[in-house]
Amino acid sequence: MKAEDTELLKEFSKEQVKKLNGIIEKFKGKPGGLIPVLEEAQVVLEYLPISVQKKIASGLNLPLSRVYGVVTFYSFFTMTPRGKHTVRVCLGTACYVRGGKAIYEQIKKQFGISEGETTPDRMFTLETVRCLGACGLGPVVVVDEDVHGRVKPGKIKEILSQYN
Amino acid sequence: MAKLTIDDLKKIKEKVHKEMSLRDGKRRVKITVHMGTCGIASGAKEVMNTLLQEIEAAKVNDVVVTTSGCMGLCSREPLVTVEVLNQDPIKYEYMNPNKMRQVFKKHVLEGEIQTPFVLAKGSEIIK
Amino acid sequence: MKVFRSHLLICGGTGCQASGSPAVKEALLEELEKRKLTEEIKVVETGCNGFCALGPIMVAYPEGVIYISLKATDMPELVEEHLIKGRIVKRLLYKEPGTEKAIPTMQEIPFFAHQELRVLRNRGLIDPEKIEEYIARDGYAGMAKALTEMTPEQIVKEMLDSGLRGRGGAGFPTGLKWKFAAQSKGDVKYVLCNADEGDPGAFMDRSVLEADPHAVLEGMVIAAKAIGSSQGYIYCRAEYPLAIHRLNIAIAQAKEAGLLGKNILGTGFDFDLEIYQGAGAFVCGEETALMTSIEGKRGMPRPRPPFPAVAGLWQKPSILNNVETLANVGQIILRGASWYASIGTEKSKGTKVFALTGDVNNVGLVEVPLGTKLGTIVYDIGGGIPGGKKFKAAQLGGPSGGCIPIQHLNAPVDYETVAELGAIMGSGGLIVMNEDKCAVDMARFFMDFCQDESCGKCTPCREGTKRMLEILTNITQGKGKEGDIELLEEMAVVIKNAALCGLGQTAPNPVLSTIRYFRKEYEEHIRDHKCRAAVCSAMFKSPCQHTCPIGMDIPSYIALIRAERFEDAYKILLQTNPFPSVCGRVCDHKCQSKCRRGNMDEAIAIKFLKRFITDNAVRPKVEAAPVTRKEKIAVIGAGPAGLTAARDLALRGYKVTVFEELPKAGGMLYWGIPSYRLPRNILDNEIDDIRKLGVEIKLKTRVGKDITFAKLQKDFNYIYLATGAHKSQKMGVEGENLKNVFGGVEFLRDFNANEGKWLKGEKTLGKKVAVIGGGNSAIDAARVATRLGADVTILYRRLRQDMPAAEEEIKAAEEEGIKIELLAAPLKIKGTKGKVSSITCQRMALGDFDNSGRKKPVPVEGSAFTLNVDAVIAAIGQSPDMSFIDKKAGIEINKWNCYNVGNVYKSCTNNPKFFAGGDAVTGPDTVIGAIAAGHQAADDIDSAIREANGERPYEKPESEKIDIPLIIDEETTETPQMAMPEMSASKRKKTFAEVELGFKKADAIKEACRCLRCDASI
Repeated sequence: MKAEDTELLKEFSKEQVKKLNGIIEKFKGKPGGLIPVLEEAQVVLEYLPISVQKKIASGLNLPLSRVYGVVTFYSFFTMTPRGKHTVRVCLGTACYVRGGKAIYEQIKKQFGISEGETTPDRMFTLETVRCLGACGLGPVVVVDEDVHGRVKPGKIKEILSQYN
Repeated sequence: MAKLTIDDLKKIKEKVHKEMSLRDGKRRVKITVHMGTCGIASGAKEVMNTLLQEIEAAKVNDVVVTTSGCMGLCSREPLVTVEVLNQDPIKYEYMNPNKMRQVFKKHVLEGEIQTPFVLAKGSEIIK
Repeated sequence: MKVFRSHLLICGGTGCQASGSPAVKEALLEELEKRKLTEEIKVVETGCNGFCALGPIMVAYPEGVIYISLKATDMPELVEEHLIKGRIVKRLLYKEPGTEKAIPTMQEIPFFAHQELRVLRNRGLIDPEKIEEYIARDGYAGMAKALTEMTPEQIVKEMLDSGLRGRGGAGFPTGLKWKFAAQSKGDVKYVLCNADEGDPGAFMDRSVLEADPHAVLEGMVIAAKAIGSSQGYIYCRAEYPLAIHRLNIAIAQAKEAGLLGKNILGTGFDFDLEIYQGAGAFVCGEETALMTSIEGKRGMPRPRPPFPAVAGLWQKPSILNNVETLANVGQIILRGASWYASIGTEKSKGTKVFALTGDVNNVGLVEVPLGTKLGTIVYDIGGGIPGGKKFKAAQLGGPSGGCIPIQHLNAPVDYETVAELGAIMGSGGLIVMNEDKCAVDMARFFMDFCQDESCGKCTPCREGTKRMLEILTNITQGKGKEGDIELLEEMAVVIKNAALCGLGQTAPNPVLSTIRYFRKEYEEHIRDHKCRAAVCSAMFKSPCQHTCPIGMDIPSYIALIRAERFEDAYKILLQTNPFPSVCGRVCDHKCQSKCRRGNMDEAIAIKFLKRFITDNAVRPKVEAAPVTRKEKIAVIGAGPAGLTAARDLALRGYKVTVFEELPKAGGMLYWGIPSYRLPRNILDNEIDDIRKLGVEIKLKTRVGKDITFAKLQKDFNYIYLATGAHKSQKMGVEGENLKNVFGGVEFLRDFNANEGKWLKGEKTLGKKVAVIGGGNSAIDAARVATRLGADVTILYRRLRQDMPAAEEEIKAAEEEGIKIELLAAPLKIKGTKGKVSSITCQRMALGDFDNSGRKKPVPVEGSAFTLNVDAVIAAIGQSPDMSFIDKKAGIEINKWNCYNVGNVYKSCTNNPKFFAGGDAVTGPDTVIGAIAAGHQAADDIDSAIREANGERPYEKPESEKIDIPLIIDEETTETPQMAMPEMSASKRKKTFAEVELGFKKADAIKEACRCLRCDASI
């Protein structure tokens, strides 16, 4: 493990940093490799703070500004740590017309967090998304990978209590 | 799989047609669970798991289970198609594990179509 | 061996266990123990019965009774009833499915029957993870043909001839795109697939990728051969994990089988492809932005030219096609361009997949020939709007599109027509919106989306969308200003012209389109702070109150019922409504249609609760209002509009005289609504209160006859014309003038005037009666005729769901044995000796949609049929009777035979001395509409007087402060609306006593507790 990794090791495990190195190695020199690197890195590290971005920039031989620009442009990437579970409320049109907004308000009220925030116990991060393509089931709430369809405000508690 | 030639494409077509038509004697029933994102979100996975458990418990080996994509009618998901040899396929709507158990026991094993859960029979016509 | 008198067999199969049979068994054993029955009754756990969906199941022997869907809480009742009292618990009983209902075929289901599957031809049929199944359905055969038998030029020509246009949005001819790229010089070219399906409400690409991924791969290989490319990318949203998973499997299988990669099918052609995962940016759906994104940069668009066909990905010639477009290609090559072009319209060939969502019964993916009528998609395939709501508009093309409103349901959906109507085809997201959607809020929603997704590169889009969003947000919050609409239009044009890419250029579309069709709604938001859909909640306390034409404080009186403060609740009612006990019975309760509880289970029974208050609380005493003003006011017509105005004006200190031609006051409330719906004493009490205020009601006084217009004008300063619409429209058929042919309202009026004679049989309709029409007065006439002993048939020219009458009235009529003959219209009435003997009708079929969104009835030739009847009542509509008006007064009457109003004041006619309102202005409308008109007129007349006198505007005196309790339940469980107890149908058809019996106290409180208190601000 190289010296430049010390900063990373404050936040991430050895295992994680090793995986990050592997990802960078895999895409090194490949045109257009930055976004796939960031995507895979986020899967391993959960979030992409500046330390990680620095590492990726030097690994891919790109300016940090370029990496930072990309991370902040795409909604998929996050620079702050997240809750154990991500609750994504769909506010696409189909869900919106079927009451997605009421669901969103209900969750905000229940946890006292707004969009992009994480509950103090780091259990849930709340996000809104634009259409998940499950319009047939609107309104839709996605917890991690599970899509919950035809959600009603009264059912939120029940749904989220399955996750701990 | 070896690299295919154009002739191979035709052969595969014929072979699969035979298999899909349920006529080689070993297969009596084909059950298709429609598993697009919408189907899965409304519980198609649980339906599928239930079906597999029931088949195992019933120790039958003339039933094939397959998955397929969305049928288009997302608001009736989960959808399951049961095709018994020499009969019209029956499409069941709004399935859940218990309905699946009932359909398996009554329709697949005893041949009694569970009309309260049926959406329609037959297939869509492709012109 | 021990003998038990009964065996209970509880199913212990997996299904029943999962639905709770162990708990049921435990509760049962406990109950038996408690009742000391364990020695007599044996409980056995059995294997599965096969009725898993009905579980937990129990069979009780010796009777063999099957109980289903048991809960632990049912056990005490079951033991008590079945085992102790020997009675079967009916509600838990298994019911044999009724007579074997015929199973429809897929072609008999309209959702499937109207579709034409090409892109979706494999849906539900193949396993997307098995390449063999795709091959078995002619998969890769088109590719094989292209690679072995065709030159690139031939492929391009075939695509051009097919007329296929890009299904991603803009509709650019696919063949042309390929032609340009094929002609570009370069050794490296790229074929790209746009699977970054970002339009909210569109999910056809996801579905194709999940259900038939190989179709896309095949299309890409053919495209590669056409333009001379050997490398491709599929740019897919990361939000579609299943699609990516199946694509990966498909690519791996295709590579292994030699259908991708080097030397495909042994033809020497090479093509490889990779999936590229998008990281969540809507703008990346734009072609140049997508390419920038694959290059690993921020996905910002770049100016064109150069077009991608010349310099695309990494500056190499590239083509980008959408998933649906590519999924068409294999079929076109295999079956030929002319096959493909055989359906569709002149300029839009083939089929289009639509993602049908929103307020529609059948949500899903539909593939139809281009040019299919919008109404066919929404109503025939989509199954119409749920919950009996009205269609408002279809939003097509997502944030770049626009909406198509109800008057265009006949429009063929193709690229040209859709563009003419101000929307775009887009990727095919078709979101159906019902009347509960606000046009301004929708525009704001899409602008918010575009503003959020704007990449920020060009100023018009970055700043323009932001400004437009601000204006729209202000309007939805009641902070709109005059001129906002024009400003939005102006900015829209600038952004459209100046933005760099498609996102910005199309971002103003939803705003322009909603302004085009719903300008009036924008104006209502800005001027009246009114959102007719009750969506823009910043402008109101609760949707019910906002929707009520007179703004009744519904949440307050419901809260007071819950607190059992019925007298206070009554006071709240009277603050806005002089006729609460009438409205508690016959109001059309628009409030309930917007009740938020309705989104959860069912709306609150607001109307019934209102009636409960008036039935159960002492009516507050009314004191005479002192006359403080010198101006005298005459009201013509003692209906709800006239009496409301009279009451308001009396409360403001005016001396008011009401002139009524008929011998009883109440207008349509008395003369049109039968007493089984509105008992006479109830109505009289409310009118008496108005008299008590000091209002004088002169009955049997026809203006123009018993008192001249001239005298009226001399004696009174202002005159309010609230004369209603009391004349039935004619059917225009032969025999209409025969005896025993009545107009609907004329019949009801005659009955009410001569009730004694009718009941004694001195006046009679005869045995068989035909009622023509589908509105409330048709139903009223039919139900009165039934009570007079006639056998009644209603003839209506459209379908039941199109009947304008209230659903509960239609149901009540059916229960009373009234037959409803649908799709039938009268042709002629025959008589013998001047009296009706038969009516000949003809069948109607439903044709195109009319402006109201209903299908137009068209006569079916040769379908005439005759009914023998003794009387005909034609209740097909009413219009005002204006024969009393003195021409010299110069009051304008319009072509609908109604007064023209709006001269300075909303209710003022062109003669400033005369105001008008109610049915005589609007045509037949509701009671609450008339009351609202009365309030408006009183306000207008008072304002006119004060204005003329140079006085300050009227200030309403402080009304008594009633504190409203605020109790909100933490949890709400789904419970349906409390049903109104009714007299049985067999009993009520013989009497004019009131049918609806009113809530009991406990029921009313329970119902009041269902209120979600949308008015609460915490």
